[in-house]
Amino acid sequence: MHKDPHILSAFDRDLETVQALIMKMGGLVEAATLDAAQALEMRDDDLAQRVRSNDAAIDALEAQINDEAARLIALRAPTASDLRMVLSVLKIAASLERTGDYAKNIAKRSLILTQLPALNGSGGTIRRMSKQVEQMLKDALDAYIRRDAILAEDVRSRDQEVDQIYNALFRVLLTHMLEDPRNITTCMHLHFIAKNIERMGDHATTIAEQVIYLVTGQLPEDPRPKDDTTSLLADPKS
Amino acid sequence: MNDMHLINRGVDMNETKISARNVQVYYGTTHAIKDVSVEILDHAVTAFIGPSGCGKSTFLRCLNRMNDTIDTCRVEGEITLDQEDIYDKRVDPVQLRAKVGMVFQKPNPFPKSIYDNVAYGPKIHGMTRNKAELDDIVESALRRAALWGEVKDRLAAPGTGLSGGQQQRLCIARAVATAPEVLLMDEPCSALDPIATAQVEELIDELRTNFSVVIVTHSMQQAARVSQKTAFFHLGHLVEYGDTSQIFTKPVDPRTESYITGRIG
Repeated sequence: MHKDPHILSAFDRDLETVQALIMKMGGLVEAATLDAAQALEMRDDDLAQRVRSNDAAIDALEAQINDEAARLIALRAPTASDLRMVLSVLKIAASLERTGDYAKNIAKRSLILTQLPALNGSGGTIRRMSKQVEQMLKDALDAYIRRDAILAEDVRSRDQEVDQIYNALFRVLLTHMLEDPRNITTCMHLHFIAKNIERMGDHATTIAEQVIYLVTGQLPEDPRPKDDTTSLLADPKS
Repeated sequence: MNDMHLINRGVDMNETKISARNVQVYYGTTHAIKDVSVEILDHAVTAFIGPSGCGKSTFLRCLNRMNDTIDTCRVEGEITLDQEDIYDKRVDPVQLRAKVGMVFQKPNPFPKSIYDNVAYGPKIHGMTRNKAELDDIVESALRRAALWGEVKDRLAAPGTGLSGGQQQRLCIARAVATAPEVLLMDEPCSALDPIATAQVEELIDELRTNFSVVIVTHSMQQAARVSQKTAFFHLGHLVEYGDTSQIFTKPVDPRTESYITGRIG
């Protein structure tokens, strides 16, 4: 993609404004995912509370991005790569907003989990999974700002690993619950947290796909590698 | 509703109406059109876009041999209408222009009545045997140009007394009255206000059920609105030719991209 400026420089300023808002939103969402995982791991109620209250800023940014994008379409009639940029901005903002919601939900559950006895073993797995997703999100946003379709493709391929960790964790949590019904409350919360992180991975993948669309004009055609098999699982020992 | 719109945008038939192969145009020593080959479809609107001086109007004028009237102009290559070479010595340019009508940038009605403006072409081409037939042709041409309702009670009034938008629609009525097969339009809306522009655009969309329409426009949004096919000219070259939706969402050539996104003039 070329970097020539528009003849009408106000058009460039508008596009840069929307782009800056996306990066700001991306920064807040990255921080929220990191802090939510940290709060969970360290049983830090203050941090969890902060993640919950910071989500409003993310939602406000999404609304602002939607307004700016609508204004750009109405006033500038963008075409070709300009049009693709505006369309991808709308989708990326929606994905970031959802990711922020998942972080908030994790924070909420971690506040409950600090009231319950800790469960050995699964914490490390969740941490590993969230680290993976944090990196995916960071790389997806980097790919966006650098217009790097190769890095975006790489992010897309990494979602499979998140799915695999989630599958393993799903079985472990089931086993804990079968062993001792007193674990059920903790395990249910941990499971929803794991599911939230898995969904965050999906959204990072969506962002990466938007980068590919932005750069090439085409969404990737091959089916995305997926490995979440828990919907087919009946017996944890199978 | 939206689906209907998308279906309507499709090209109904994929028959080539005009085929140009390796066309070169020279004005004296100036090489204005450089090796342009293009297939223009029947029952479709084809838009020619590009910066001023890119050759789009020159190329349009080749399609009905309007360039013959310029002494220094030389056209090479082959242009066929329904597989027949329009530059063949046996082709009468006047007959050709009856088949390939043209509408210009500025409305240019004859200093005659509204009726006579439309009746002129059918008369000189001997298309009618009596007044009643001529009346029918005039009425249907004015109806097609979406002007009938506004002028039916003052057909004897001078055409030059109409508003700019009405004059342009009168010129379109005049062009369609000779039952052409192709309609060439060189910036037909540049002198019109947005409402008159919308009326002419609506008319263009209706005309394509019967004609092959080729429009030169400086307004890229107009090209996007009315055409099914878009050709981008730059410095005498045909840079890119494709479906309008493709040209405006993912052009292949970086020059097309730069032009339609407003980066080069």
